[in-house]
Amino acid sequence: MLPLEYDRSQDRDIIVRDRFDGCRREFLRTLVTPEVIEEHRRSPLGQHSERLERLLIYFRQRPLDERYAVRAIEPFRRYQVVKLSGRRGVPPRVIDTGIYTSANEARHGLFLRCIRDLLET
Amino acid sequence: MAQIKIFGYADKISAKPGDTIQFHVSADGTSTAEAHLVRLIHGDEHPHGPGFIEEEIDCVANGTWQVEKQFTQVGAFLEVTDPNRKLALDSSITLCAFIWPTWPDVGHRQCLLGRWDNDKNHGYGLGINPSGRLEFWVGCGNEIDYLQAELPLQKQAWYFVAATFDARSGRATLYQEGVVNRYNSLLSKVAPVDYRSHVSEVFRFRQNNLVDTPFLVAGSRDWHALRGHFVSQLYCGKIDRCGVFDRPLGREELDAIRAGGQPPSYGMVAYWDTTKGYTDHGIGDVVVDIGPNRLDANGYNRPVRAQTGYNWNGRNDCFRLAPHEYGGIEFHADAMIDSNWKVTKTFELPEILRSGAYAMRLRAGDGKGLAEEYIVFFVRPRVPTGRIALLFSTATYIAYANERFATDGQIVQPMAGQPPTISEVDIEIYENPEFGGGCYDSHADGAGICYSSYRRPLVNMRPKYRISAFDLPWNFPADLSILAWLEHKGYDYDVLTDEDVHLEGVAAMAPYACILNSTHPEYHSERMLNAHEDYIAGGGRFICMGANSFCCNVAFRDDEPWIMECRKTGGHWIAWAARPGEYYLATTGQMGGIWTGFQRWGQKLVGNTFAGEGFAHSQPYRRMPDSYDPALAWITEGIEGEIIGDFGLGNGGAAGIEIDCYKLGFGTPPNTKIIASSGGHPDNYIAHDEEGAHAHQGFSGTHNYILRADMVYFEAPNNGAVFATGSIAFGSALPINGFENNVSQLLSNVVNAFVKPGPLPGSSNRPRENIGRFERVDP
Repeated sequence: MLPLEYDRSQDRDIIVRDRFDGCRREFLRTLVTPEVIEEHRRSPLGQHSERLERLLIYFRQRPLDERYAVRAIEPFRRYQVVKLSGRRGVPPRVIDTGIYTSANEARHGLFLRCIRDLLET
Repeated sequence: MAQIKIFGYADKISAKPGDTIQFHVSADGTSTAEAHLVRLIHGDEHPHGPGFIEEEIDCVANGTWQVEKQFTQVGAFLEVTDPNRKLALDSSITLCAFIWPTWPDVGHRQCLLGRWDNDKNHGYGLGINPSGRLEFWVGCGNEIDYLQAELPLQKQAWYFVAATFDARSGRATLYQEGVVNRYNSLLSKVAPVDYRSHVSEVFRFRQNNLVDTPFLVAGSRDWHALRGHFVSQLYCGKIDRCGVFDRPLGREELDAIRAGGQPPSYGMVAYWDTTKGYTDHGIGDVVVDIGPNRLDANGYNRPVRAQTGYNWNGRNDCFRLAPHEYGGIEFHADAMIDSNWKVTKTFELPEILRSGAYAMRLRAGDGKGLAEEYIVFFVRPRVPTGRIALLFSTATYIAYANERFATDGQIVQPMAGQPPTISEVDIEIYENPEFGGGCYDSHADGAGICYSSYRRPLVNMRPKYRISAFDLPWNFPADLSILAWLEHKGYDYDVLTDEDVHLEGVAAMAPYACILNSTHPEYHSERMLNAHEDYIAGGGRFICMGANSFCCNVAFRDDEPWIMECRKTGGHWIAWAARPGEYYLATTGQMGGIWTGFQRWGQKLVGNTFAGEGFAHSQPYRRMPDSYDPALAWITEGIEGEIIGDFGLGNGGAAGIEIDCYKLGFGTPPNTKIIASSGGHPDNYIAHDEEGAHAHQGFSGTHNYILRADMVYFEAPNNGAVFATGSIAFGSALPINGFENNVSQLLSNVVNAFVKPGPLPGSSNRPRENIGRFERVDP
């Protein structure tokens, strides 16, 4: 059980959300395998295995300030991964210097970041 | 040196050769731009297609334009017309209003009403201070005296508030009482919240009124060295009946107004009865003063009317039933309807211009990225010249104008089945509220945006643009693939816009043997929907090229067709939801939302409509048995095999993105045939079933056959006919392989048959007289 001091904000929903999130992440970590990562690399979009779909649905539902996006530097040629601010009017920020030559490569780079965040927290 | 940026808009979205058109341009980092009129032919830069194609057109306006930085007044407010300065009250005063603040703790001062100069500190005002408390202030230039309430205002709660000032004694008093009932506010009476505050203080001096300060509601006058006068201290929330008196009203008098009584006439300078002016067909921007001086107020950036007031009691859901309960006028600090920039260039369009999609291309500096602008407009012929018309969905373009849902929408990534792909211009409009949002966005205070217009830069109504949420050309740039196909095939065609159909009705459509619409014909006013129905029933032949067709109900005023009203309600696929009691369009008095709510499902018009959407992956169609019926074999003539459209610039298939299906129970004409159908879409395609069923597992692509694009065909009276693709991705499949593919072949078969006079191939219809039949002019 989380201590009462955990969160003093007025919105108690956040506490429940975070508790649900903790359980969900614990399970989702068990789904991360080299096969799942390879499946995403081959095809970032479209129908996936249930393992991969569950991971992707979770990543797409993160709070906006924890989500990543692809930035098209030059469409069809140069892309990078950025992180959304979650604050209206504040632009996404560049988080590394990696440049991808297709949108799908960037989507996979973004996916690997999400996997890393999941496994490291 | 500042980065060069250039943006603009035209005063018209639809014009004819010889018409005068105005361009409004703003630029950073440059004082000149190279302008060239271009005809747009293809807008999708996907490497598997023909790429971007434009044709430069000779025009007197081509050349170097002088451009400058222009400023935009953001925010909705009322400005009172007061030529005799009746409101320049230098002595005693009372200000009062019913208010429903949506963002009292925004952190900066919001002016509710007053004659206040925020730059010079002259005048008086009643507002909400940075700590979220009601505040009254007077200023005489050097100094300001303030009086604030004891506790912060609650958001989304109705209050009656007032400030009185007795000039003789210098005593200022604040009056703040909640008027929360069981329906009108966020909280009920079980919440132990204190709404009341009454404070008083003696001010040191009296206000001084400058000559030219306007009396404003929901903002106050400000000044900037570069832009001159503008309005700041913008308020977020609703204001119901409000007034000004030239004496301090007593507590009992204020109590009586709070209780719903008439305000006293003694000492009344102005009293804006926000419930006056409603008709059965809506209400405009003028707010009526019932006081002795008739100081009416005018809305700027279209404050939202037809909103519930302080006395709304839940029984009536529309202003038509109880206008006295609809005194709420809603203001948003980031409302933006019209940039109102100075005109940069005016000229007459060349008389020899052929009908088409055009843009004034502007380039400055290296002409790349934000240093290039395409200001798009459409040109109709003076007299219809073609047998075919391509109808551009300008209402849908306005609905999606400058959308930011990739960055602000929680639901977008799960819907889209992918992370957003954001471009430089997306970031530009995200950082700058001057561009305004569209009907898919919400104001910063949380309310949905219900007004959108084309009199401002529309960065997504441009060639080459890809929507960030889905990484696809969306609406206009995708629709150019249909135009490019008509060009490639050598058809004689004219273009039309939704605006033409709204303003002229079926007369705009009647001259054409065959009309194709766009990839995403989603938004329609009642007049537009009626025109389509009359065109088809009268013998017109209509090809519905896209999906999510004829779903949403919107409204335009005749005198301002560039502004569209959209209230989101009904269905479970809306970007935001209108609040209870606020479903009706202030523009027409009709309920907003989806046409499903009126028993006018899209199926009744074109045989199919919204099944669902998914965005990340498209599928091919498979031919259905009807396609092998000898009477219908002409539709698939020349196509081998069962699969149609296993390719496309829209995620690799002709069926996808958003998809429409046949449904007899929703009015698909009973003689409709399904020529081909898709299926097996990924599970991020979710069914948008409107049958009222509970949401449940199995409503997604691989589980449910309803997730499909149906390619349908039916004959209508008087040799009319409809062919509908049921897919947004259909149009983006046309350019594959140099426009030589089975989707292109199929569409050619249909267009060729539709443009021929007389019965359709294999027709079971015999021509018959119909009083609704229109006269078609053969070109």
